[in-house]
Amino acid sequence: MIFREVEDADLIVRARRGDVEAYNLLVSRWEKRVYNYILRLIGDREDALDVTQEVFLKAYQNLSKLGDTSRFAPWLYRIAHNEAHSLLRKIRPEGEMNYEPSTPDGAARLFPIELSLAVESALKRLNSDQREAVLLKIYHGFKFDEMAEILACPVSTVKSRLYTALDLLKDALAPVNAP
Amino acid sequence: MSCSSFDVKEYFAGETAGDDRRRIEKHLSECQECREELARLQLTQASLLAVREEEIPRRIAFVSDKVFEPGWRQRFWNSGPRLAFAAASLVACAIIVHAFVRPPAPGRAAASPALDAAAIEARIQRETAARVNEAVAKAVAASEARQQRKTAEMLSAMERRFEHERRIELATYSGQLALLQKQINRDFMLANNLRTVE
Repeated sequence: MIFREVEDADLIVRARRGDVEAYNLLVSRWEKRVYNYILRLIGDREDALDVTQEVFLKAYQNLSKLGDTSRFAPWLYRIAHNEAHSLLRKIRPEGEMNYEPSTPDGAARLFPIELSLAVESALKRLNSDQREAVLLKIYHGFKFDEMAEILACPVSTVKSRLYTALDLLKDALAPVNAP
Repeated sequence: MSCSSFDVKEYFAGETAGDDRRRIEKHLSECQECREELARLQLTQASLLAVREEEIPRRIAFVSDKVFEPGWRQRFWNSGPRLAFAAASLVACAIIVHAFVRPPAPGRAAASPALDAAAIEARIQRETAARVNEAVAKAVAASEARQQRKTAEMLSAMERRFEHERRIELATYSGQLALLQKQINRDFMLANNLRTVE
């Protein structure tokens, strides 16, 4: 992980000097994770792809503004968070996001369908803030301070959202978890 | 240490380190309830992670677009020979500055270099205009001579052709006249022979 961070930092430095290939490599490393994060926020593949494209464009244009290259991941996810929520505000101006999980194609299902449905159902019980906290911690492995940076809120708020979400998920998935 | 679910959740989230982590691990080894709580959280995490990430439908490749590539100045400035270019620029600047600030050559009038430049420029303009006019006049004369020569050649060729055609026509008419005279003579002879027979 440390080596990877060093390599990312090196790529960022090269990309800032105008090395397009370095940025392309950076994109290829992060595009799948960013796409899945956005997909789970907005639930539509085409929209998620468009937003991902926009995220990497904005990241490229603003790369010089990234102070600490070791903070590239939360910085990139902050852009992704903003872009995703910007789109959601346009398409669902009423406020609360209606989570519509994107069901993978039949061939792409590599897990029991019951478990998938149970997880999707459990995630629906969460509000958008709680769901995003779960995404960032469980699926993307961010630390609390990084999550606070991405979500632009205090660490205490991040913790509160995540712990509440975990309690709800734990109860919702209890029958699945039970041996 | 109390059985705080918050502590277990923080431990589960990987946010504890050092003494805090050791304290929680010691507590977990002693507290059945907290161990069960941790196990439930880990099972919940395992369930969530069973929903795998999707492959991106198509690659994000906008950077290959020329629009997003750095400009030629940036590419050049980031390229290897920029130091050589910088050195060459410095030498060029030094030469130009030297040319402007060097003292005048001995014996040459120092007064009014701007006037000299104006006089030289006027003379160059006069000479250039004279040469241009001379060249234009020569070109026009040559062109006119060529046109006259061509016209004369054309008239001569036409005269020759008309003469040739006139002679052909004359020969044709002469031949036809001779043929007509022969026919008339023959007709007269036939008429005389018939009268003689009658």
